[in-house]
Amino acid sequence: MISVGLRSAVALLLAVSGGETGASDPPTFERDVRPIFKAYCLDCHGGEEELKGGLDLRLRRFTERGGVSGPSIVPGDPADSLLLFRLQDGEMPPGEKKVPADQVAIIERWIAAGAPTLRDEPESLPPGIGITEEDRSYWAFQPIRRPEPPSVVPSDRVRTPIDAFVLARLQEHGLDFAPEADRLTLLRRASADLTGLPPSQEQIDAYLSDDSPDAYERMVDRLLDSPGYGERWARHWLDVAGYADSDGNGSEDTPRPYAYKYRDYVIRALNADVPLDRFIVEQLAGDELVPRPWKDLSPEQVDTLAATGFLRNVPDTTSTGAPDEALASNQVVADALKVVGSALLGLSVGCAQCHDHRYDPIPQADYYRLRAVFEPALDPQHWRRPGQRLVSLMTDEQRARAEAIEAEAQQLQKAVAEKTQAFIAEELEKVLESYPEELRDALRTANSTPPGDRTEEQKALLAAHPKVNVNAGTLYLYNQKAADELKADRDAVAAKRAEKPVEDFVSVLDEVPGILPETRLFHRGDHRQPTDPVGPGGLTIAAPQGERLELPADDPDLPTSGRRLAYARDLTSGTHPLVGRVLANRIWLHHFGRGLVDTPGDFGVLGRRPTHPELLDWLASELVRQGWSLKRMHRLIMTSTVYRQSSRRNPSHDAIDSDNALYGRFPVLRLDAEALRDRILAVSGRLDLTPFGPPVPVSEDAVGQAVPEGNSPRRSIYLQVRRSRPVSFLTAFDAPVMEVNCDRRSPSTSAPQALTLMNSDFLVGEAQAMADRLLSETPADFATDRIGSDEWNADGAFRGPSGATIPQMIARAWTLAYQRPIDPDELDLALAFVADQIEAVDPAESESESEGGRERSALTHLCHQLLSSNEFLYVD
Amino acid sequence: MSTEFPRWTRRSLLANTGFGVGALALASLLERDGALAETPRKPGENLPLNLDPRPPMFAPKAEAMISLFMHGGPSHVDLLDPKPELSRLHGKDYGGEVVYSFVNRATKALLGSPWRFSKRGECGTEVSELLPELGGIVDDVCVIRSMHTGHNGHEVSIRYFHGGIAGVTGRPTMGSWIVYALGSESRELPAYMVLSDPEGHPVDGTHNWSSGFMPPLYQGTVLRPKEPRILNLDPPPSARGAVQDRNLDFLDRLNRRHLERHPGEADLETRIRSYELAASMQTAAKEALDVSEEPESIRRLYGLDHDETREYGTRCLIARRLVERGVRFVQLFLGGQPWDNHSSIKSTLPAICRRTDRPAAALVKDLKQRGLLDTTIVHWGGEIGRLPVTEGALDDNAGRDHNGQGFSIWMAGGGIKGGTTFGATDEVGHRAVEDVVTPNDFQATVLHLLGLDHERLAYHANGREYHLTDGRPARIIREILQAPPPA
Repeated sequence: MISVGLRSAVALLLAVSGGETGASDPPTFERDVRPIFKAYCLDCHGGEEELKGGLDLRLRRFTERGGVSGPSIVPGDPADSLLLFRLQDGEMPPGEKKVPADQVAIIERWIAAGAPTLRDEPESLPPGIGITEEDRSYWAFQPIRRPEPPSVVPSDRVRTPIDAFVLARLQEHGLDFAPEADRLTLLRRASADLTGLPPSQEQIDAYLSDDSPDAYERMVDRLLDSPGYGERWARHWLDVAGYADSDGNGSEDTPRPYAYKYRDYVIRALNADVPLDRFIVEQLAGDELVPRPWKDLSPEQVDTLAATGFLRNVPDTTSTGAPDEALASNQVVADALKVVGSALLGLSVGCAQCHDHRYDPIPQADYYRLRAVFEPALDPQHWRRPGQRLVSLMTDEQRARAEAIEAEAQQLQKAVAEKTQAFIAEELEKVLESYPEELRDALRTANSTPPGDRTEEQKALLAAHPKVNVNAGTLYLYNQKAADELKADRDAVAAKRAEKPVEDFVSVLDEVPGILPETRLFHRGDHRQPTDPVGPGGLTIAAPQGERLELPADDPDLPTSGRRLAYARDLTSGTHPLVGRVLANRIWLHHFGRGLVDTPGDFGVLGRRPTHPELLDWLASELVRQGWSLKRMHRLIMTSTVYRQSSRRNPSHDAIDSDNALYGRFPVLRLDAEALRDRILAVSGRLDLTPFGPPVPVSEDAVGQAVPEGNSPRRSIYLQVRRSRPVSFLTAFDAPVMEVNCDRRSPSTSAPQALTLMNSDFLVGEAQAMADRLLSETPADFATDRIGSDEWNADGAFRGPSGATIPQMIARAWTLAYQRPIDPDELDLALAFVADQIEAVDPAESESESEGGRERSALTHLCHQLLSSNEFLYVD
Repeated sequence: MSTEFPRWTRRSLLANTGFGVGALALASLLERDGALAETPRKPGENLPLNLDPRPPMFAPKAEAMISLFMHGGPSHVDLLDPKPELSRLHGKDYGGEVVYSFVNRATKALLGSPWRFSKRGECGTEVSELLPELGGIVDDVCVIRSMHTGHNGHEVSIRYFHGGIAGVTGRPTMGSWIVYALGSESRELPAYMVLSDPEGHPVDGTHNWSSGFMPPLYQGTVLRPKEPRILNLDPPPSARGAVQDRNLDFLDRLNRRHLERHPGEADLETRIRSYELAASMQTAAKEALDVSEEPESIRRLYGLDHDETREYGTRCLIARRLVERGVRFVQLFLGGQPWDNHSSIKSTLPAICRRTDRPAAALVKDLKQRGLLDTTIVHWGGEIGRLPVTEGALDDNAGRDHNGQGFSIWMAGGGIKGGTTFGATDEVGHRAVEDVVTPNDFQATVLHLLGLDHERLAYHANGREYHLTDGRPARIIREILQAPPPA
C-alpha cells in the first residue's frame, strides 16, 4: 500500500548501513545486497509462501540455488549470472520500477567478489521476510544507554550535561558556543517557548531588576507554573494526537461536541506535570483505570476517561452512516494505529498493514498484533459510531431531579391544554350565537372534529362559514387576553423544563465487557480477506531477540480485556527502546525548532539519523530518572548554555554548519500560527485568557473566511478545530488541517501570508484596538527620557485622553509589540511616518470622526505595521 | 531543446509584459533550458518549499493545465460514447451485472440515448448533438472512452482523481503535486487556482483543492464567484493607494533594521520579499481577473453575450487569462451537481450542456489561436459516468444512476494527440473493456506531459515518502500522446 521512492530509499539505506564504503571493501549479502532485494524483489521471491519461478532471494544460499530457470548467480562470475542479466535487461522486476544502475552495479561487484556473506546463514527460515541481525543492529532498536557526558574544554560554559554533548560536537568541528543572549531576549524567548505569549511589562521589569544569581532559573519556573504553559505545550501534543472537534465525514463534518474534554485533559495534565508515563497510560487505557459502573464520577475520573480521546481523535466517517461501514471503520482503526505509531513509537507502522514493511523490520503479523491490542475497543465487527461512545455524566441525584421536574412540567402542560380547550369552546359558543339554532350543532361538531377526520360535508360547511374556525392558532383573533394568558402559561412550562440539569457527556474509548473480537491478518491489508488469527502483542523489533511482548488475550482481573493497559505499561516501563527516545526528541524539537532526529514521527530507516545520538540517549534516560517529569526536562534544557545562546549568525560558524545542526547558536524561529494570533491579541489588549470549556465555534464571514464566532479573542487553542472549516488565519500560517495527525509543522513563507497580514479584517481590527489602547492607556509620564522635546510635545500638541503625546504613544507601541524600549532613530522614523499618514487622512473621512480621528487613523497604520513586522513574527 | 525554446518564451513574455517581473523569471527560464537535469538532492529531502519556477525532470510538452472538472458523472452514453446496441436494446432488460448506488430505484431496463450522435471534424469522432460546440473542436481533442474508477460514489472517485487513492482524503491534490514540482511562472499570481461556482462548493468541499500533508503553500487558491474574488487581496478602505505604499515602505524599513541585527537569516529576507510580491499581486491579480477589456469577439466566443453561458464562459475566459500569465494549474468546479442526472435526464442533461459546451470549446479554440494550446493541457471530465439502465421508470422522468465501471473524458493540447479516441466500453457502455484507464493512469500521463515522472516525484512527510499515484499500477498512456516532432 505504501509507495516509497525505491531508488533514494535504498541509496539511503546503503549510506547508513555503513556498507559500500569503497571498492576496497567488497559488498556483502546481509549489508549491501539484501536491502536491494528487500526493496525490489522479495515481494515475489521470498516474502510470500508462493515463490515466483521458485526463486527465493532471502538468503545467499537460496539465491545461488535459484529457481525453475536454474541457478541465479554464479559466485565469482557475473557474466554467467542469470539474475544480473535480468536486472540489466530491465526484465526484472516487472513493471516500471527498475533497480537503478548503481545498485545493479553493487550486485555485480558482490557476485564478482564471490558473493560473500558476513556470517554463516541459518539452516532454515520461517516464512516471510523476517528480521535479520542487520535489522536488529539499527540504532533506534538498541536499548537506551546512559552515555557519560564527554569532558570538554573550556568547561566554564558547560552548565549541564547537555552542554557537554553539544560542545564536544562543536569542538570536533573547531567551533564554539555563540555568546549568551541578553537577558531581555532570553525572557522573550522563554515566554514564547513555554507559554506562547509575550511577557508583560511587569514581568520584564521584575526579571530585569532581579540581581539574584538564580534569577533566570526562577523566571523559567514562574513560566512553567503559569496556566499559559499547558495551553502552549498542549498544542504540540494535540498536533501529534490529531485533535479535532469534528468527525471528518465529508462535507457534513459533524461536530464532536465533547471532544474538547480531551483537549482540556491534556492542558490540565501538562500544567499539573502529570508524569509522562502516566500521561501515556491514561491516553491509551484510561477507561481501564476507572472502575465500572461509570456513575457519579469524580472530576479526576472524568478526566481519566476523557484522556482516551487520544484514540478517538482520528476522522470517523461512520458518524452519519458511511456507505461502506466495514471499510470506514477499518480506516478508523488504521488511522488510530498510525497516531500511536507516529506519536509513541516513531515508526510508520501503517506501512506493514498490507505486507511486511519494505524498509523497517516490521513484519505484517506485527502490525496485526498491535491491532489486536486495540481491536476490542476499536472493533469493526461490532462497530460503535461516535454517538454510541458517549458516557453520561449525569448523577443519579441529577437524573431523579430531572424526572421530578419533567413530571411537574407535564402537569403544567396538561393544565394549559385543558385551559386552551375551554377558551376555544367559550369563543366558539359566542360565535355560534350569531348562527341559526339548527346549524349550530353541525358547526360545533365540524369544528371539534380534527381537520384530517372531517367529512367533505364538514369541510364545505366550515369553508362556507370561516368565522367558525376557532382553534388554538386563531384564538388570539377572538380573544387576545386569553391568548396572552395561554402564552404566559406555556412559557412557564418551558421555564420549568429549563430547570432540569443539562445532561453532559464525555466521549470515551472503551470496550464492551465480554466481547473479545478475533483479530486476523488481512491479506494485502484488505479487510474482506482475513487470514490467520493473531494475538495481541508488541513489535518484535522493540524487544530483545526472542523476548517479544505477548499479551494475554484477556485479563481476568478486569471486566475488559486489559490489553491496552498492559501494552501501555510496557511502553512506559522505561526500557522500551523507542518511547523514551521519541518523547525526548519531541521535547527537544519544540524548544529548538528541530529534533535531534529531524523526522520525529519516523525513527525508521527512511527517517533521519540523530545528529547527537548520545545526547538523545542521555535525554531519554534522564526523562525516566526524573520520574518522567516534563517540567524537569524543560528546566534542564532551558538552563543549558545551548538554549541560552544568542541567535545571531556568525560567518565562520555558517561556513561549517549553515543549517545549525550542531546547535552553535539559537535558531531564529517564526511563531507558529496559534502563538502569532495569541500574540496579536495580547498586544492589542483584547486577549481573553478564560481557560477550558467548549470550543469557540468557527463560521464563515461575509467574504468566506473561516473566523471564530463574534471575533472571539480567546486563545487559539480554544477555537473549534472543524476539519472542513479550518480557521483561515491559522492555516495561512501553517496550522495543520487535521486529516489524521501532524508530526511536525513545516513553516512556510508566502505572499498569501503577507496579504493576510496586510489586508485581513482581523489585522486591521486588532491594529485599531492597539491604537485605541495607546490613546487611552499611555500614561502622561511615559518614557519621558526618550521622547525629546520638540513640537510633538509642545503645549497645544495633540494629546490622548490620559495626556500622553504622540511620541509617548509611539514609544509605548514599541514596548507593547516588541517588549523593548524604542531607539531614538526608530522614534524619528515612526514620527515621520505618523506625520505623513496624518497628513494623508482623507479630510472627508476625518470630518465624520470625532476630534483626533486623524491621529487615531495614523496610529492604527503604525500599529498595523508593527504587528506585521518580522521582529513581531519571529523569536530570536 | 532549442527548437522548443520559442514556445517557452512566448508565454513568459506574456507573463512578464506589464508585470515587471522580468529578470527573475527570465533567469530561471534560461537556467531551465540548460539545466533539465534533475536537481541533485539528498535522499529523503523535499524540493524547496517555495513557488520559485523549477525545471521539470525531462523535456516537457506542457507547462500548464486547465481542468474543467465535470463532477457528478456526465452521462457518457449520451455525450461522448455512442452505443447503437444500447439504442437497439432500449426497454429490454440488461443481462449483465450492475452495481447501483440507489438500489431503491434500481431497474435493469436499458435506456437508449434519446440523442443523436454524428461524426464531426476531419477525424470523424462521434459526438452527441448535446455538445455541438465540442463537435467543432474534435480535431484537437482526444476522447478517452474507457475511464474506470471501480467505485460508484462521488467522493470516492473524486478523491481518486485528485489525491490518487480512491476514497482517501488528506492527500495533496494533483494540482498541489504539480506546483510543488514545478513552482510557478508567475510571481504575482497564485500558482494553483480554483474557480468555484456561484452555486457553491462541489461535493467534498475544500478537499478538492487540499494540499494534504504538504504545506498550505501548495493548496489551491479559491477564486470566489463574486467579489472579492481572492480573499485579502484588496487593501482595506482605510489603506488604499499612497497610504498603503507608505505603510509598506515603513514596514520595509522596520524589517531591514531587524535584518541588520540578524544578518544572513534567509527566512527574514524571504519574508521581506513576500511583501513586495503581495503588493504587486494586488494589481496583477486584479488585472488578470478583469475580462472587461477583452474584445467583443472573444467575449462572444465564450458566450458572455448569453445569460446561459455567461457565468461559465467568464470563468473559462479567466482560466485562459491565468495560464497566459503563468499560472500553472487552474481547475473549474460546478456547484449543485448538475451532471448528476438521477431523474429527468431528458431535461436536466441538455441544460448543463447548454451552460458549459460553448465555453469549454471556446477555451480550446482561444488557446489554439494564441499558440498556447501546445503547452496547455485542457481536461474535461467527471469522476464517474452513468449507467446504461434507467433509474426509476422508463418514462420522461427516467434518469441514470452512477457508474464508476466505465465512462468518458476528453483531453486536448499540451502534447495530447487530437482527433482521436482511446479505449472502449462494452456494447451498452457499462464497463470499460478495452484499454482501461484509471485515474492513476490519467495522473501519470498528465505528469509525464509536464515533464515529471510520477514514480520519482516524491514528497516526504511524517517520516514517509509519498507519490501522487501512491506506487500503484499506473501507466503513461503513450497512445494518446503526440509523436515527437522529427529531429
